[in-house]
Amino acid sequence: MAQSTLALGVEAVGCAGFDAGIKGAFGYPGTPSTEGFECVEALIHAAADGRVAQWAANEKVAYDLALGVSFAGFRTLVTMKHVGLNVALDAYANSALTGVHGGLVLLVADDPGMHSSQNEQDSRSLASFAWLPCLEPSTVQECYDFTLRAFDLSEALQVPVMVRLVTRLAHCRAPLDRREALAPTGLGPVPAAQAQDWVLIPSNARRRYEDLLAKQPRLLAALADLNRSVPGPSRRGVALAGMGRAYFHQLALEHPELRDLPRLELAAQPVDPDLEAAFLATVDEVLVFEEDYPLVETRLGLRARVKVHGRMDGALPRVGELSPRLLKAALGLAPSMGTPAELDLPVRAPRFCDGCGHVDAFEALQEALGNLGATAQARVFGDIGCYTLAAQEPLSALHAVVEMGASISMAVGAALAGLHPAVAVIGDSTFGHSGLPALLTAMDAGADVTILILDNRVVGMTGQQPSQALDQVERMVLGMGIPEASLQVLTPLPRHHEANVKAVAAALQQPGPSVLVFRRECIQSLRRGVLREHDRNEKAERASACCTLEVQP
Amino acid sequence: MSALRIHGIVLSGVGGQGVLSLAQIVLEALRRSGFHALQSEIHGMSQRGGSVQAQVCFAEVPLTSPILDEGSADLLIALEPLEALRHVAMLRPDGHLVASEEPSADMAGYPPLEDIYRALKAVRGACLLDTEDLARRLRHPQAGGMALLGMASRHLPVPEAVWQAVITERFAAKGERVITKNLEAFAAGQGLVPARAEA
Ligand SMILES: Cc1ncc(C[n+]2csc(CCOP(=O)(O)OP(=O)(O)O)c2C)c(N)n1
Ligand code: SF4
Repeated sequence: MAQSTLALGVEAVGCAGFDAGIKGAFGYPGTPSTEGFECVEALIHAAADGRVAQWAANEKVAYDLALGVSFAGFRTLVTMKHVGLNVALDAYANSALTGVHGGLVLLVADDPGMHSSQNEQDSRSLASFAWLPCLEPSTVQECYDFTLRAFDLSEALQVPVMVRLVTRLAHCRAPLDRREALAPTGLGPVPAAQAQDWVLIPSNARRRYEDLLAKQPRLLAALADLNRSVPGPSRRGVALAGMGRAYFHQLALEHPELRDLPRLELAAQPVDPDLEAAFLATVDEVLVFEEDYPLVETRLGLRARVKVHGRMDGALPRVGELSPRLLKAALGLAPSMGTPAELDLPVRAPRFCDGCGHVDAFEALQEALGNLGATAQARVFGDIGCYTLAAQEPLSALHAVVEMGASISMAVGAALAGLHPAVAVIGDSTFGHSGLPALLTAMDAGADVTILILDNRVVGMTGQQPSQALDQVERMVLGMGIPEASLQVLTPLPRHHEANVKAVAAALQQPGPSVLVFRRECIQSLRRGVLREHDRNEKAERASACCTLEVQP
Repeated sequence: MSALRIHGIVLSGVGGQGVLSLAQIVLEALRRSGFHALQSEIHGMSQRGGSVQAQVCFAEVPLTSPILDEGSADLLIALEPLEALRHVAMLRPDGHLVASEEPSADMAGYPPLEDIYRALKAVRGACLLDTEDLARRLRHPQAGGMALLGMASRHLPVPEAVWQAVITERFAAKGERVITKNLEAFAAGQGLVPARAEA
């Protein structure tokens, strides 16, 4: 039954995945992509018809899970934020060569303006890097329609298809009309005749790469109707992609004169060069509105006759997200002005929730370093999560925060270069995401590092999803070869402060890698009861097993 | 080819105050009143007490831009006085401001309250509410947001029955008492602002 609801842009992608009849949805949380997975997860759970929605340990795992579903002959959706695609890039780029069997759609949410990310890289460039198609919706309804289309394209062309959103669209809530949901239909696994396509030994890979390149004209043809050139009487034109399209269309409602401008409207890449050439032949100059990197701008700029304006010539700022205000300025429309308050307004920075255990852990670390007289020499390598807030005042406890998993490896590298004390601070989810292999190397290198794993049992920062490392952290640490004597489990609570300071000091003085697990559940997940059922089941299980098994601490 | 008027509302506050939930009520109410409406939200890490902002745009034709330009909002609904000031530049000269007087001052460098109130009262069309006092009188700690919405409703083209229905549905899962309490807070807010001539 078709239905109309209100949905966020990312949720519309999730709904479309469900309605397209996916068998499995996978992802790793990351703003602003998280709600896309959560939406399809809720639909799949409600349907209770044997489909799966599974958070993965990281984005690469999520992507490979999806590729496995595709291999098995079913449709599948995988979701991540832009920097997550770096982690999944090996899988993504190589799946271009294997191709897909069941339709595979990748939702990537970019974050121009860095509302909640460490960079503003443009996923469209990774799609062209992999020779794969990318659809770029500009409204919530398009998020849905394009995702459905992406599944058809994926199966018709036998390639993974990316649907790229940006923060403003991902978190735009608007009415959504859904179509009737399809049930998953299986094609059966990749047939024997094609088995070699999926085995990327060099002899096959060379052939598959040629196949991928040979597919490119078909790809252009299949996407052709998503890109169009709209003529107009003016010799000044605009090229619009993604939110550039959305903002321009709305401005044209308020400023009818804009409807005279010839437009190149792009919703999918690769773009047919003939379409761009034909458009450029009708104008003398063109203003390009696209989100993030100047990709369309650079491409159009290669054609010498036409003057191209955008981020490269200062018509728009080089960095940051587009906005209606920036479009207006570039188009020469009078800015609308408001009256700001006549008062200096301090920024209201995010901070730790009252009572958050991370604060207790950092206080213990800082006091232990102080007691050892090591505050000045010590360097603390942080990671990505709520605990990154410790970089700011009053704690000012972190010297580096780069990307997920970097804390342990950077501390090991620095320690191998002679820096002491070298401390790593990493959350439990990030530890499961990419800290594990780093710990294996720390062990192998025998590096003199102290590693704090802040185990709040959830992915705090992205909305308290249960952590994949839930109840497993010590076993994971021991499994990487850390001796029991070098592992301590502590409770970050004010009343344990003295004991924690002593434990941290001992670990700092002990040669070789040592690990301190600070375990206390996130205040927010406790309040919401995220793990209540899990803990109840766990307790019941332990009660029934305790007569025969010795319980591990 | 004629120009079209697009209406805008900005809602602001601090993480945890319910800005986004209020925005969703407004969005749904406008939609049911026959408008095309969009909502956008920006909330980096809102559960940890940062600034939160949502915007709602509506018009008689389908819209595509979820964000407003400075000086183009008809209405600013602020759940906290400093967070009201942060967004007053979004208001049109003939816009309206409804804001709570109750500070969330748990941060570095919070300006003196009297400066904040002075700056707020200088805004044309400002209507301030002592939400703390109202919450006490109604014996409903969360009354503030709903009362501000009641005040704001005087400036929005939404029929009374639609407000009643949307608020009732929003709190349906929490039981009859919660619904009544919220409708009561909404009505209290409405009572503080005279009805629009055309409403
Ligand atoms: C590659 C990548 N994927 C996802 C994210 C989004 N993200 C930021 S922090 C975080 C995990 C935080 O969990 P944890 O390490 O347990 O720390 P907590 O927030 O619970 O303190 C995620 C998923 C990211 N920044 N980079
Ligand atoms: S959400 Fe949880 S982990 Fe994050 S600051 Fe709050 S209590 Fe700490």
